[in-house]
Amino acid sequence: MTLLPSNITIEVPTGTLISEVIQQSGLEFIQPCGGQGRCGRCAVIIEKNGVRRRSTIRLSAEDLDAGYALACQTVIEGPTTITIPEQERIERRLVTAKTARKVELPFEYDPAALQSVQAFQVSLPPPSLQDNLDDLSRLEKALADHGYTPLDIPLATLRRLGTTLRTAEWSPWVVIETQAPTSGPARLIDLSSDPIRPIGLAVDIGTTTVTAFLVDLTTGQVMNSAAEYNSQIARGEDVISRIIYAEKTDLNELGELVRQTIDTLLERLKRRTGVPPEGIHKVTVSGNTTMIHLFLGLPPSSIRLTPYIPTVNFPQSYLAAELNLGVHPQASVLCLPGVASYVGADISAGVLACGLTDVDELTLFIDIGTNGEMVLGTRDWMVACACSAGPAFEGAGVVDGMRATAGAIEEVWIHSETFEPTIRVIGNVSPRGICGSGLISILAELFVTGVVDKAGNVKLDLDTPRVRRGEHGPEYVVVWADETETGRDIVLTKVDVDNLMRAKAAIYAGFSVLAANVGVDLADVQQVLIGGAFGQYINVENAIKIGLLPDLPWDRFHFLGNTSVLGSYMALLSRQACEQMRDIAQGMTYIELSADNTFFEAFTAALFLPHTEINRFPSVAMVWERHRQD
Amino acid sequence: MTIEIPKEKWTGSVCEVTFGATADEGGTRSRTLTVGGETAMPFLHFEGVTPNPPALALEIRDRKPDDWSPLLHQAWGEAMEDPGEWAKAAETAGADMIYLALSLTTADGEPNTPENARAVVRKVLQASGLPLAVAGPGQAEVDNQLLVPVAEEAEGERLLLGICEDKNYRTIVAAALAHNHLVQSKTPMDVNLSKQLVILIHDMGLPLERIIMDPTTGALGYGFEYGYSVMERLRLAAFQGDSMTQQPMLVNPGFETWKVKESKVGEGVPENWGDWDRRAQEWEAITATTLIHSGADILVLRHPESLHRVRTVVDALVNPAATA
Repeated sequence: MTLLPSNITIEVPTGTLISEVIQQSGLEFIQPCGGQGRCGRCAVIIEKNGVRRRSTIRLSAEDLDAGYALACQTVIEGPTTITIPEQERIERRLVTAKTARKVELPFEYDPAALQSVQAFQVSLPPPSLQDNLDDLSRLEKALADHGYTPLDIPLATLRRLGTTLRTAEWSPWVVIETQAPTSGPARLIDLSSDPIRPIGLAVDIGTTTVTAFLVDLTTGQVMNSAAEYNSQIARGEDVISRIIYAEKTDLNELGELVRQTIDTLLERLKRRTGVPPEGIHKVTVSGNTTMIHLFLGLPPSSIRLTPYIPTVNFPQSYLAAELNLGVHPQASVLCLPGVASYVGADISAGVLACGLTDVDELTLFIDIGTNGEMVLGTRDWMVACACSAGPAFEGAGVVDGMRATAGAIEEVWIHSETFEPTIRVIGNVSPRGICGSGLISILAELFVTGVVDKAGNVKLDLDTPRVRRGEHGPEYVVVWADETETGRDIVLTKVDVDNLMRAKAAIYAGFSVLAANVGVDLADVQQVLIGGAFGQYINVENAIKIGLLPDLPWDRFHFLGNTSVLGSYMALLSRQACEQMRDIAQGMTYIELSADNTFFEAFTAALFLPHTEINRFPSVAMVWERHRQD
Repeated sequence: MTIEIPKEKWTGSVCEVTFGATADEGGTRSRTLTVGGETAMPFLHFEGVTPNPPALALEIRDRKPDDWSPLLHQAWGEAMEDPGEWAKAAETAGADMIYLALSLTTADGEPNTPENARAVVRKVLQASGLPLAVAGPGQAEVDNQLLVPVAEEAEGERLLLGICEDKNYRTIVAAALAHNHLVQSKTPMDVNLSKQLVILIHDMGLPLERIIMDPTTGALGYGFEYGYSVMERLRLAAFQGDSMTQQPMLVNPGFETWKVKESKVGEGVPENWGDWDRRAQEWEAITATTLIHSGADILVLRHPESLHRVRTVVDALVNPAATA
């Protein structure tokens, strides 16, 4: 078969899936649903027949006429030619700002007290005929004088010990990890005749984005940071798709993909700072439980299946060499502690970073992504839960949904009499689709202007061509075809509205259940701390209007950005922070919503705009009444 | 020693709702029917009042139904051949209200038409002076086609129009608004969903005292307890002051019980199941009686004898002294 536009021809056995061929050919190719035929993003155009479509569930009759087929659901039965549409390729643009703003030191940094990795020069008495102690004992004796005894010295280091000591004229530089956060003897990480600056790397493996801070462990300052899409995206957009991929296809491939992403970041950091990857002596890794499992190469299956037990919540530190990570082979890699299968290290790290451990006021910390994780509490107690909101707010599972990149509609205003929209698009380009904040904004506007009712039903009897019955049922046309980049109407369908409603209802129901479990009222929450990339783009007013966030004064909401990587950074700097994070993870009460019989009730109550109990949303009730009177 | 009975003090009450309109009120009904108004759980006279006893409606069809039990055919006989006659028979059997359900098709399988629906409603209104409820066949598009002309035909009669569901309520509510009728708001056994649909209907401008909730029930032995508890919770919410749950509740035990095996099957069942006719009637009557205890205000029944049995219970509950 031949692949266009790259014009690659490959010989494959009959019955091979097109997606397998594309992967074999080495072309970049995305499968957000992990090859289950659900997302429709792997559509390719069949130029010359010779294939059989097993499922076309995500394709319209029009698409089929145009020759589209789902690569993950179509098998090759004879000679064929297919085109991989350009627009379907992975977008490499990142939503996070390229030049991250300077990260401040989270606390006063005293490396001697806090830092487990120390680098210094040590002077050894040179050997002589009278002092004929062997090299290793000589070093051990000198370091014992500094308090480092016993000391682990790996064989690889021992092999170059003699040469290095002599080149350094008996005053080598050493890097020692005094005591890994999991206790044990001090360990010699590196030895050199040249001065060594101890460097660390704080990583956050997000399901979507991997972020890394390169940190000078002497000053504690972030030297530079970098972020990149997690390459695993091509094997599934959410954690469940990836777990399925790991089970059915290849666990190690997923580990390898995230290591590749980290390598890319290391290269970029090297270009910017001159610090080579081998110069990194310590790594901390945050991420959700699935990401940590895949990174460590642990089979994640049990995370997905009841009773949802992961292999490990409190990983120890491992050697970089063991993990095949491209930093100094003797560097220790510490994966941060998690709470449960769906409340991972990203949340313990987030809780530490957002300062929840220091507050007396009732605080809600939330991290909205594909999964919505939330923690409610004060310095004295915390309860956490996770709800599967689905990827709707990330633009997946919505007909014209997309990520927040150029061409995404990010905000919409609808005229309450003509129902005509005004839109704002990211970048100076024609609109291509709608991103999460745009979706929230459209839903809020449709609701307030009465285009949809409180149950999300599109009112087809309105006097506007923008409301119509489309292929997927009733829909609202956001942009007409002649103004879009794709040449097709950009719409929000009833099905999309239902998806968004379910997503927001799941998240709000999570808040309700947490609050009910500890007997507090959501209205009493004094501050809402929002982490995660999505939080940076969310418009509080719109999010409250649709009932995604509780109706509190806007000044109680604070956006903290990526709290997971900040927590990872704190753990990198400080042993105390690591211990605190362990305490957080151990002390948090986790509520498993699938085992909580009040969740479903809370969910149905929230499956309404803004909520069945309108008195929970007084500000929205006012806005809605005002529109109704106009 | 005197025993103090603990009493709940409620702040809310159920709306009072009136169906039908007499000539003075712009209709042609010989009497109207008022339900609701409770201020305490059913028949807890020491806590509050039940000003209007539960009403009993009999279901009739615009034509002789193909799928009803032979026992019901036996009970109604010739009357089933003509909706006017059937309505009269229902009134004679003691119904407080006629519940007319329109069929999807005519007897020869042709789609039902707006003209037919109008004619049948006119005929039933002329045959009986009881307040009338009219429900569509239960397919959104057909319901809307038939109920809009029905609403217009019966202008001023304060019909109960059904059935509004969350995916199809706007047309029916608009018709009720335009022609001064009431609507039946049906949701599948869930407190939140019930409340949500009342809100949606009310948002269109229909006053709360023109909405009847149908929280859906099951037959005895077929998920009935779940529906019972939903009704009880709705009623408790109403007493706690939630205005979107204060609508009187209508349930249709007739529809539910006549489709279960115990009512449907006359042969090849264990002998101790007893007489078929009596068993079927009792299944309907016991289901209905139990629903009264969960707060039902209107019960739609099919068999005249079940109505008689339920009526006996209602009378005894309303006036315990007379029966004792």
